[in-house]
Amino acid sequence: MAQMPALIPKEVEIQRLKKIWLIIIALGSIAASVEVDNFVDGSLHQTSIRDSAFTPAHWWLYSHFIALPLGWGMVAVYDRKVPILRGPNNSMNTGLKMTILGYLATMFTIGVNEMWHFWYVEEIFAVPNHWMFNMGVVVAFMGALAYVVRVYARLVELGAETPGENPYVAEMYKMALEGKLYSRSIP
Amino acid sequence: MTLPKGFGTGGGASSSDVSKMIGRRVEDMVGLITGAFVALWAGTWGGVAVACVYYPWAYPPPSAHFALTVLTIIEAIGYLFCVKVVTEGTSKAKTYNGLIAGVIAAIAIATLVTDCVFFG
Repeated sequence: MAQMPALIPKEVEIQRLKKIWLIIIALGSIAASVEVDNFVDGSLHQTSIRDSAFTPAHWWLYSHFIALPLGWGMVAVYDRKVPILRGPNNSMNTGLKMTILGYLATMFTIGVNEMWHFWYVEEIFAVPNHWMFNMGVVVAFMGALAYVVRVYARLVELGAETPGENPYVAEMYKMALEGKLYSRSIP
Repeated sequence: MTLPKGFGTGGGASSSDVSKMIGRRVEDMVGLITGAFVALWAGTWGGVAVACVYYPWAYPPPSAHFALTVLTIIEAIGYLFCVKVVTEGTSKAKTYNGLIAGVIAAIAIATLVTDCVFFG
């Protein structure tokens, strides 16, 4: 596996990557918890079509659309301390950029959604304002996957994680380290 | 190796420089993570309680039991991952397996008691 140049001491880099990993686990748990809220909110809307923005199912749903972009923003701020995670031209990592943009779209959609439900009360899953939530989340998940693989592959390279034994998985880590997992030009 | 301003004496990083750059080490955060997990579970309990008490028409007991139980599982998995990430591969000999088992068992019992006694 190609060795990347170390710009900070190895021990410091491992500790910093693990701190990023902790934030990601917390954010992943929040994202997973919202799957529960999909059922809670769905059952609520089957009994009372559109109640108000301020029911517990909505506190949970809307606050996660704010908590996750803020949390990924924290990752972006801390990420600057790990040189290997930089993106093209020393910018933010591409995966991280996609994640934050995706969740920012969902934050924006909170307002759009409220306006929609103010004028058109119906609360069915397939209304366009809900597409915006779903598309934002999917973009964010794709970016988060790319970023998580990058962090994990670096931890493998530094010897802090056990590399995948499956040769196909090992090849995927190698490509991620070389910036070739998704594209040859986007690190 | 280029170090940030204020670190090193021109001859590379010393061990005290490395410690300064690291700050609080992740393997010393187990207490913090455990406290955060317990506080998070208590917050979840409170949120479910508020939903049941103030919106009983929308959140009947089965919804409350479902939400609390599944959320407890998600939070416990997150707690387990966090402790494992911070302790594995470090020089610290402790694994904290006993602590993890004890804390998760206590929370599981509290969840079951809640499902049986509270929230309808």
